Amino acid sequence: MENILKVSNVSYRYKDANKDDYVLKNINYNFQKGKVYAIKGKSGSGKTTLLSLISGLEKKYEGEIFYKDKNLKKIDLDNYRNHDIGIVFQSYNLLPHLTASENIILSMDISKIKEKNKKELAIKLMEKVGLNKNQSSRRVLKLSGGEQQRVAIARSLSYNPEIIIADEPTGNLDKETETEILNIFNDLAHKDDKCIIIVTHSQNVCDRSDYVYELKKNET
Amino acid sequence: MYILKNAITSIKRNKGRNILIGIIIIVISAASAITLAIRESATKIVTAYENKNPLTATIGMNRENLMKNLRDGNKSQEEMINAFNEIESITEDQIKEYGHSSNLKSYYYTYELSVDAKDIKEATDSLVKETTTTKTETTTTTRKTPSGNSNGGRMPPGGFGGSTSTTRRKTTTTKTEKIFNEKAQDGAFTLIGYNSYEDMKDFINGNYQITSGEVSSDFTSNTCVISEELATLNNLSVGSTITIIDPKTTSNTYTLEITGIYKENTDSSQNMSTMFTSSANNIITNTTFIKTILEKNSNIKPTITPTFILNDKDSIENFTNEVNEKGLSEYYKITTNLQDIESATESVNNVKTFATTFLIITLIIGGVVLIVINMINIRERKYEIGVLRTIGMKKSKVSIQFMLELLIVTLFGLLIGAGIGSITSVPIANSLMANEIETANSKYDNIEKNFGLNNRKENQTTTEEKQNTEESNKTVEEEKETKEPVNMKDYQFGIAKVNEIESIDAIVDFNVLIKLLGIGIILTLISSLASMIAIARFSPLTILKERS
Repeated sequence: MENILKVSNVSYRYKDANKDDYVLKNINYNFQKGKVYAIKGKSGSGKTTLLSLISGLEKKYEGEIFYKDKNLKKIDLDNYRNHDIGIVFQSYNLLPHLTASENIILSMDISKIKEKNKKELAIKLMEKVGLNKNQSSRRVLKLSGGEQQRVAIARSLSYNPEIIIADEPTGNLDKETETEILNIFNDLAHKDDKCIIIVTHSQNVCDRSDYVYELKKNET
Repeated sequence: MYILKNAITSIKRNKGRNILIGIIIIVISAASAITLAIRESATKIVTAYENKNPLTATIGMNRENLMKNLRDGNKSQEEMINAFNEIESITEDQIKEYGHSSNLKSYYYTYELSVDAKDIKEATDSLVKETTTTKTETTTTTRKTPSGNSNGGRMPPGGFGGSTSTTRRKTTTTKTEKIFNEKAQDGAFTLIGYNSYEDMKDFINGNYQITSGEVSSDFTSNTCVISEELATLNNLSVGSTITIIDPKTTSNTYTLEITGIYKENTDSSQNMSTMFTSSANNIITNTTFIKTILEKNSNIKPTITPTFILNDKDSIENFTNEVNEKGLSEYYKITTNLQDIESATESVNNVKTFATTFLIITLIIGGVVLIVINMINIRERKYEIGVLRTIGMKKSKVSIQFMLELLIVTLFGLLIGAGIGSITSVPIANSLMANEIETANSKYDNIEKNFGLNNRKENQTTTEEKQNTEESNKTVEEEKETKEPVNMKDYQFGIAKVNEIESIDAIVDFNVLIKLLGIGIILTLISSLASMIAIARFSPLTILKERS
């Protein structure tokens, strides 16, 4: 299988940290399409930091990250985030003044998706993650945590990226909802050939993943 | 396009925040609209006044130099008078030479000549009635042939013979009333000669207006226009002729045909004791006619009055220097109407200055308040910025969206503010104007008090009040008008009257709206600058971490 994302000798330390105080040191990972990856580790081990490097939200690091052999340091990261990679957060990060479908449509607009009926596509995406049409027109704050996370996943799918990274996507959800969300991620990987990278503490998530990487603090 | 859509959605869904910003913008724009409207209108008024009363210069006697030179020479009074008479008058050629200047828009000159006229009375209220009593004695002699003693047998005195002679004396007393002007002298009328319509500024400005007939376009004909007062007093009308008498040689007479009657629209009498305007005895004709009189009698000295229309204030000094270099005698000097113009427009200019200062303060305070509110707004919307940046929206586009939101709210605020401004600008402007006039008038009142003239005014007012009480059909406004001794302060004490411009019709017109829009855009850009800097500095990851 083709490596879609390659993390090569990546090291990272915070701006105000000591010279040798690295959060991540010489990390080398490969990620392929059609697989679910779980990155686990204790708090402070650098899981979320690695995710922010992969998603292009953080640019100052040592080493290289390649998306389809393109060095992230040399590409337009805004364009990368609105075309090639979808991000799902533990706290959903939806715009509260918009409805569920408006959040998804806005993402499509930013990605310049050429779709005549964006609302219809948004509803289809929401149905794909287990939401119905009525829920699409509700303000996101009126939806439950699980529903909001589904909206966030639908939003990340709106421009059909090849990689979806999720930071503790089930951290705020109950067991049953967690299972449903994981089913969605598995389907996206195995049926839609997406590369799913999940940062998690949850053993359940690790169990359902194809690969599990464990990060340990100050360890390579 | 989606940025605009998103901006509109954001405004709709965050009403509280945008209403607050909107209210601030309404206040700023209303204040700006009022001040801009006042400024614009004041500028228009001043420009209109300056167009109507252009900055002009003329040549007048330099009495200071004259007296200095005469005194220095220790001359006797007679010598001084002779020396004064020897000063050469300004000639037409000199005026033409001075008129060729880049400091001038144009120039013109008038010939003025004091003349008398045959069989017409001068318009003056110094007329007196004189009654002349003439006694005529008539002697009638009647002869009678006696046919009887018809007279009772008495013999007629000194007569004997066949007939009787009777002499009867009759004394007739004739009373003749003659009205004459006790001040009347030769030259009771002023002939004013113009060269063209363009030179007749009083007609152009509307100070004089033809009420009957017209001003002849033939500036070489023996025609004239006279005042309504003169026409009424002497039963003259268009088509009548008047005979002008050479003031020095009375046998020289000239006939002028009246082609028009004019009225003076301005109250230039400057003197409460006269019932006629100062132009009542002016006979307006052309320079050709006056030159005809001068050709026949070289003893007559006309007054040639030049009027140089200056480009602007800066031209005054340049023109003065230029004329002096061209050889204007030291006994003459250039005088301008700058002080009159400035005095007349002082109140409006004060209001304009106040409006400008107020506008600047409003914009500074408004701008600062908007920046602060916008910064608070940005801090509150930090999360939104983080989300938009995370899902790949570029910094520039996030900035544009935030700016558009502010611009839309600003435009609505401007519209409402402009509406409020247009309603309130007129009363506010006129209230400011009234204060200015009151301040200026109190200055006059104080000066009048210094001269003790206020007592005279009060007496006059009391008398007029009594008269007014008798006239029951007068309205309150009319009475008020009558009581107000406006003329007392006209051009007295060397200060121009202040009631030249009494009100400002401030209008929020297209020009004001454009300026208001410019202010709105500048304010939006300045206050958006804070959000742009913040957006550029915010790291989406940091924002989202803070949120988590």
